[in-house]
Formats: sequence, C-alpha cells, structure tokens
Amino acid sequence: MYHLDDDEYLNEKYYRKTKSVCPECLQPISAEVYEEDDKIWMRKTCEDHGDFKDLISSSAKYYKWTHYAIKDKDGKVIWQFDKDGETNPPDFKGDDPRGCPYNCGLCDQHISTCSLALIDLTNRCNFNCNFCYANVLQSGYLVEPSLEEIDRIMKHFRSKPIPAVAIMFTGGEPTVRKDFPEICKMAKDHGFKEVIVATNGYGFQKKNGGLEWTKKVKEAGLDTLYFQFDGINNVTYEKTRGIKNLMAYKQRVIDNCRKAGLNSVVLVATIAKGVTDIEVGNIIQYAIDNIDTVRGITFQPVSLCGRIAFEEREELRITNADILKEIENQTSGKISMENAWYPLTTIVEFGRVIAYLADVEPIEFTCHPDCGFASYMVVDPDSGEMMPIMEYFDPLKIIDFANRFWAKIKNKEKKPLRIFEDILGDFGKTLDNGLNYLDKTQLKARFLLGILQYMKKPGKLMELFSRLLMRGDWESISSFSYGALLLSSMHFQDAYNMDLERAKRCIVHFGVAMPDGSVKEISFCTMNSIHRPEIEKQIAKKITPKIRNEFDTTTGQEMVEVKPEVARNGGIKKEGEE
Amino acid sequence: MSEEFVEDKDGMKIRKLTKLKTSTAKEYEDVMLRRVEEFKNKNAEKSQFNDIFQNTFVKAFSTILDLKLDVDKALGEENVKKVRKAIDDILLLGL
Repeated sequence: MYHLDDDEYLNEKYYRKTKSVCPECLQPISAEVYEEDDKIWMRKTCEDHGDFKDLISSSAKYYKWTHYAIKDKDGKVIWQFDKDGETNPPDFKGDDPRGCPYNCGLCDQHISTCSLALIDLTNRCNFNCNFCYANVLQSGYLVEPSLEEIDRIMKHFRSKPIPAVAIMFTGGEPTVRKDFPEICKMAKDHGFKEVIVATNGYGFQKKNGGLEWTKKVKEAGLDTLYFQFDGINNVTYEKTRGIKNLMAYKQRVIDNCRKAGLNSVVLVATIAKGVTDIEVGNIIQYAIDNIDTVRGITFQPVSLCGRIAFEEREELRITNADILKEIENQTSGKISMENAWYPLTTIVEFGRVIAYLADVEPIEFTCHPDCGFASYMVVDPDSGEMMPIMEYFDPLKIIDFANRFWAKIKNKEKKPLRIFEDILGDFGKTLDNGLNYLDKTQLKARFLLGILQYMKKPGKLMELFSRLLMRGDWESISSFSYGALLLSSMHFQDAYNMDLERAKRCIVHFGVAMPDGSVKEISFCTMNSIHRPEIEKQIAKKITPKIRNEFDTTTGQEMVEVKPEVARNGGIKKEGEE
Repeated sequence: MSEEFVEDKDGMKIRKLTKLKTSTAKEYEDVMLRRVEEFKNKNAEKSQFNDIFQNTFVKAFSTILDLKLDVDKALGEENVKKVRKAIDDILLLGL
C-alpha cells in the first residue's frame, strides 16, 4: 500500500529476521518471519526448549501490502518497517544485558510515545472467566492502586514532553470500585482528553441505580466505554464467559448509556475461531442498529498462553487477516478486505499535519503495521446506508500527499517563524504570532486543496468533510462523526508470536505505581506476556475475607484453578472440559 | 434481504448483511441524515453552519467538485494523473 508506483514487490517472498522470546522460558531468542503457502509464519528455536512455529498472518499478500519494502543497491527487496515514532526521554536505564523487553520501564530502545495510557484499577471482577490474566480469585492476591498511586501514574503520563492524550482504566472490572467516578474526574483534571473504561458493563447495567451511576460517571468525565461484547447470542457468552443469559445484561448497558447521553461505546469482541468469528456480522449489525450510542467496534483475535502444541495452536490461532476476511464474507463484500482496511500506521503523517494545523496535541499511531487495522464507516446522507469512507476518497493518494506535505512543513512545527521578536520585543512577538497565523492559514488552504483533488464522489458527505477541514472545531467534528462507526482489528501478541520489533513500537502502555515511589511504564503486550507476574508480586496485597465477600459473582462459581492451557482471551473450553 | 447464510461448525446459521442500514434508532437516523440542519438549529447563531461566508464557500466548492469529477472523467486516467501531479507540485512549491 505504501508503494504507489508499482506492486511488483508483492511477488517477492517475504522474509525478515527479528527477535522474539521462547514461549516456555521467556528468554529472548532470534526469530525469522517468512512466507510459506501464501501465509506468513514465525519460526524460532530455543536451545533448551526446541523449535516453535506460529502463524502471523493467513494472507501473505495482504501482509506484504501493509509492509514497507525497499530495494538495496543490487535490486534485492528488503522488508523493512521504518516509520519510527517520536520518543519521550527514557524513564529507565536498565542494565539487563538481554535488552528489550527486559529493561522495560520504558528504556531507550522504545521508539514510540504512549498514545493510550492504561491503569489497572483492580483485579477484582464480578465475572470469573477462567482465562483472565487479571483476576483476583485466580491470582490469589489483590492488585488495587490507591488514589494517591493513581494520581502519581496520571502525573507520569501527562508530564512527558509528548503527553499521553487518552487514558483507559482496565482490570479486573474497574467499575466495582466505589471511587470510580472520582478517578474519572482526576483523569480530566490531569488533562486527559479522552477517558475510557474497559468494562464488562457491571456498573452501568445495574437494575437499581445503574442509570444514575452512568449519569454520575459521565458527569465526572468518563467519555467512552470499551465494552466487552462477544456477540448477540446468549449461547456465545456461555462459551466465552461461562455465564447464561448475558445478553440482557449487555443490552441494559447500552440502554442506560443511551438514556444518560453517554453516547460513545466501543464494542470489544474477542474473536476465537469457531466460537465468536461467526458473530462478526451480527456485531456490526448491532452497532449500526445502535449507532446513536455505539461509536466503534474493536475485534481482537484471541491471544494464546500456556503450553499449547503446534497442531492445537493452528486450530486456535486466528489473525487479523482472518477477521477481515470474515467481515467481508459476512457483509456480502460491502466491507472488503482489499479496499476498506488500512494499518493504523498509515495515518501517522496525516495526523501530524492535522494536529499541527489545528493546534491540538497529536496522537501518534507509530505502532507496527501488524498491531492493528482500521476502517471508518459513515452514513451516506444520500442513500441512508453506511459504507466505508474509502468509497469517497482515494485514500492512498491522500496519504501520499499528506506524507509529502508533512516532509515539507515538519520543520515549521519545531521552529515557528521568529522575525520581529528579537528586534521589537513584545510587540515583535505579536507580529510574529500574526505571521505564524497567516502562514498556517495558507498551509491549511494548500492542504485542503491537495486533499480535495482526490475525492471520488460528490454529495453531502463531501460538504461535511470540507467544512471539517476548513474549520476543525468541535461542531464540525461532531457533525461529521454523527453516525460514524470506527471498525478496528487489534491483534495483541503472546509468547508464541511475540515480535520485539512490534513491542518496541507499542503505543499502548501500562502505568504501574511501584512501592519505591516510582512509576513503571510498560508496553501492553510485554506486560501481559512477560512482566505481569513479577510486577504484581511487588505490588500485591493479601486477600482478606472482606475482599472476597465483596465480589458480585454473577455465576455463583467457586474459585477455579488457573488452567494455563486454556486460551487467554477467548475462553475456549476444550472438549470434555466442564 | 439476502438469502445467503454463514454457517458455523455447529450448524448455527446467520444471515449475511446485504444492506448496512440502521433499523432501530429511527429518530437518530433522521438526525444523521440531516446533520448540518440539525446543528444549525441546535447551535443557532453560534453555529458555523449559519455563517454566510462559509456556506457560500461550501456551495461554490461543491459546484467545483462536481465539475472536477466531470473533468476527471473527460480527461481520462492518464491525463488526470499528470494534472494531479502538476497541482501537487504547485501546492508543495516553496514549502
């Protein structure tokens, strides 16, 4: 996709070397990513634990399309992703000779800033999914930062030269905390533009007081729910969560959000082969039917943990490409794999131009192209039907223009015009501000004209888009995004497919308040695959009978033992398992 | 509506989506389709959509866009490429 001139490189076999970890001992080892049978695979060998092979993408063509290829002086294709991000100064100078990811905290090898800060508010939960990595019943200890510790983590993320723009509260189930509204307010007070909670819906769905509580957290500053939503059939939840009749619970969340005016819900669907992949079309239809409240859907291919044989992994493993294919299949080709989806990294320069011209904090999507894909659906005012926004533009040309535009103006961001200030003092500064304003105005006009060349259809949507580009204020953004649906597919890594090139570019970072008063900032996938047990050992609190009694276990289940062979996020129960 | 089905390994059938239209949030659907009018009314004088200058510009622009699409068709793909390259060069000139 990044190659506008030709697509001959798609005929070249994909191959690159990288670093990974051994799934058994988690020690860093070399790995190769290669093409075989029109798929992309990773292979690696641990001296102590043998060979490992895992599927990275079920579509070699699509995978190659999303990666850069350059030619060396001999004309040989080199697969290389070279879109490094802006970085904040490292927090941690680790001395572990193994390097990334063992010096995480963050260290100087990280090459992206944090776009989304995460805080685990608790590992208590009203559910008791046996595959969850953060569940107090299964871990046997409590992880629950105090308000002072949460404040410290927020300060950490907001005090960076490039601060995190958005924050997400995770768990466990964050809404079991009584002080959750207060925490949302703290986040807003710290200047986070977007405050999000990853939730199964607990606090929002309560029959008594759920609506009032939803109104309260909205008022306190909560912007968005990242809402666990595996499908629309009760039978699906029985498979994934082990709970019966859960759909009514899920629907109450949407209803209360609608009534409270909290109209930014992102449905988060964990996709497991043969369990929830059948539901992707249903989820899209559900989102469209609730478009006044649902703003997006995130499909997350299940990540795997524990010791799983290759054959079994082959059966369980589902990649981003599989999900895009399934979405195309279940929407009769309306959301097609070839045309509708782009890696998040595509819009890095476009985002920088907009942030610079509109004077807003940038969100840097400088993650790896394997991390995620997105598509934006908009309601067509002329037909009333929703369709991918790419139908209206020539996205590649727009991206290419934005890339070249940014290359030309990026120095202006670092060095605004300063001509009169040194000569005329404060008055000169005012003149310089005026010059900079005029300069930005002419840049906006150029950018708008450049983009508009590549529009493909006339109509009201184009009118909305041109208003948005002319004046990127809240009203124009709101009107454009009314009825818009963001679709994305995010594949989190596990120890089998861990690619440290990806880990270094991670833009989603956990913040953990450590007992020594410091804050550890750790990338998402390495936290969950490698660091979590060690970190939690340091911050864990004992479970008291009071804590145990505070659970609202929907299932009434007793504590179950961790079953490491069970897939982590999909809850796939093996045959014969209760 | 399509008669095509997706079927899982347990025989659970799900109808394929052929029309991606909203069906339950009727009131909101109306608002979606009349977005600019909705904001004009809601925000009254504060709304940029009641700005005569901007509305004139948008109208002119829409006309130009319609014309551009006609011209693109008339020029053919190869010529459009050349024209766009020239416009790109002009827009990036001096930056």
